Amino acid sequence: MLSRDGISGLVCLALSIWLLVLTLWLPPAVIVPIGPAFYPRVVLTIMALLSTILIVLDVVAMRRLHAAPGAVPAAVAAGTGPNYRLVLATFIEFGIYIALLPSLGFRISTVLFVMALQVTLEWPRSARHWVLAVAVAIATSWVCHIVFENYLSVLLPRGTWSGM
Amino acid sequence: MSHYELLFTHIGTILHFQYLIPLLVGTIAGVIGGALPGVTITMTVIVVLPFTFGLDPLQGLAAMTGVYVGGSAGGSITASLIGIPGTPSAVATTFDGFPMTKNGEAGRSVWVGAWSAFIGGALGGLCLIELTGPFASLALKFGPWEFFALFVFALSMVAGLVGRSVTKGLLSGAIGLVVTIIGPDPVMGVQRFTVHIHQLEGGFPFLPVLIGVFAFAQLMPDVETIGTGAQPALTPNQINLKVSHLSVLRDILCRPFILLWVTFIGIVIGVLPAIGGSAANIMAYDQAKKFSKRPEKFGTGIPEGIVASEASNSANVAGSLMMIMAFGIPGDAVTAVMMGALTIHGIQPGPLFISQHPKVAYGIYAAYLVALPLMIAVVWIGSRAWLRIIMMPKSMLIPIVLVLCVVGAYALSNSMNDVYVLGLFCVIGYAMVKARMPLAPLILGVVLGDQIEANLIQAVSTDPNPWLFLTRPISGGLIAASVLSVALAVWQHSRETKRLAVAADEEEDTDF
Repeated sequence: MLSRDGISGLVCLALSIWLLVLTLWLPPAVIVPIGPAFYPRVVLTIMALLSTILIVLDVVAMRRLHAAPGAVPAAVAAGTGPNYRLVLATFIEFGIYIALLPSLGFRISTVLFVMALQVTLEWPRSARHWVLAVAVAIATSWVCHIVFENYLSVLLPRGTWSGM
Repeated sequence: MSHYELLFTHIGTILHFQYLIPLLVGTIAGVIGGALPGVTITMTVIVVLPFTFGLDPLQGLAAMTGVYVGGSAGGSITASLIGIPGTPSAVATTFDGFPMTKNGEAGRSVWVGAWSAFIGGALGGLCLIELTGPFASLALKFGPWEFFALFVFALSMVAGLVGRSVTKGLLSGAIGLVVTIIGPDPVMGVQRFTVHIHQLEGGFPFLPVLIGVFAFAQLMPDVETIGTGAQPALTPNQINLKVSHLSVLRDILCRPFILLWVTFIGIVIGVLPAIGGSAANIMAYDQAKKFSKRPEKFGTGIPEGIVASEASNSANVAGSLMMIMAFGIPGDAVTAVMMGALTIHGIQPGPLFISQHPKVAYGIYAAYLVALPLMIAVVWIGSRAWLRIIMMPKSMLIPIVLVLCVVGAYALSNSMNDVYVLGLFCVIGYAMVKARMPLAPLILGVVLGDQIEANLIQAVSTDPNPWLFLTRPISGGLIAASVLSVALAVWQHSRETKRLAVAADEEEDTDF
């Protein structure tokens, strides 16, 4: 059984091996003594080595931990864990936001995103909180649009569906 | 024009409304961002970044310098008043700042911090102005071998010094280098690892990568604590900030040795790549305690502790700016963003920066010096108002920050491609935080990767003898220093692990 160190080592090792294999298809050197594959191979070999060391260190550490009598993993001992549901919800909403940005346009998608994320992170407990959440969502979108488009010459995305 | 004539001319320029307004806004944003627990200076400078795209380079850099200087002071406000450091670079300020507040000296606590930051920053600024030129002249003597070795040294040092594991630090740096090998190679333009995805053909742009990595890495830990009851309750009510500024200045200036020594530490740590204020304030605090005649009083609310933390923290900013201006190596994540902002305007920081762009270079010096009194004014006028803003709920703040991150990435080239890169690196950044991998080596790897490869190719093309990397004195010395720094870090980490194991064994023995 590996801890998160070992798992991250495995992911990095797999990535470095895959990319190392891809270097086989890179062309040889023509103009300079070293070709386009040389430097990536050096970097990827170092990454593979470090990943292997991380995995080995983790395996050794886990064996020691299991050998120790009454060892309790830190996460179990810590009690209340982090709120990963909110983290996942934030990621999903952010993903939807950037996916819909070209279709809905900056103004509409930003209002929806800011509103949705505020409500997700902390459910408004009164009518006043709802009004505040809506106001913040509209103000964020409107102020960003005005400031960036009118004063900073940054054209924010227009929606292909909404036209705004 | 002489060095100081140029400096005073540019101070005059910075005092024009055109530059003073961005500097003031940046300083206010920095003080607020620095004071907000969970929002670091890096996050604040990332938020301010998109607003600088439409400005001229010096206006943009003035705003960022304001954020940097203001942020280093802002962190100390919450550290002193509510015992929660606004930024990692204010951790040591809580050790004595908060006890001083609890002793009924809230005003003294905040102002010893603010004035120490001012004095430390001013001394650091003096070094910045005097030493950047000679450093740049030294860098001009470097060939590709020396630059290659310097970049490798910077990376190895950062990887070895940050985080708890040397392996993870080095691996994080290697991941950063891997990010830069995707896309065209620097000589022939051959596409590498794009796997037929045409969006990857230009490689990963640096700023969306940086914003992505830091945005979620810094905001998600706050999201994790929402609803778990682990959030700090911020109730700094009935705090009296009135104080005699003369007595505060006496508190600081009657300790000249500590002040100078911790300022020196701050500058040196700032010069060392990507270590930053978070290390400087702790090291300076430790040093002040060691040199103090009353070390037992540290942690009870004495001014020395606050002076050490804040002066070193502020001087650290000058050290970081020095490194980026002379060598083009970011001293920390904030200067990495500033470097990105410069490159957007077609300015390459490095040895030729001062001679090719004197207006911008002296403008940065001037903005730094003007930002210090502005920081004092901002804290003076608005400390109570900033405290109210700090109370802003995270559920409101996080969506706004994320929107500004998206705007920042999009505005770089008006392309959704950069926003998708941001999204990808948001996931990677958070995954690295969960894997307890330090982010600083990754960022430095991304910043330096292309230059390491370009200098390697240039060196080998000039002379294919690989031993030159070791036989040229500066290059050889830097390579040796790289190996030494990694070896030293490994030794330190193994010693620490053994010490902890022995302590755990002893604890176990006492249980039975």
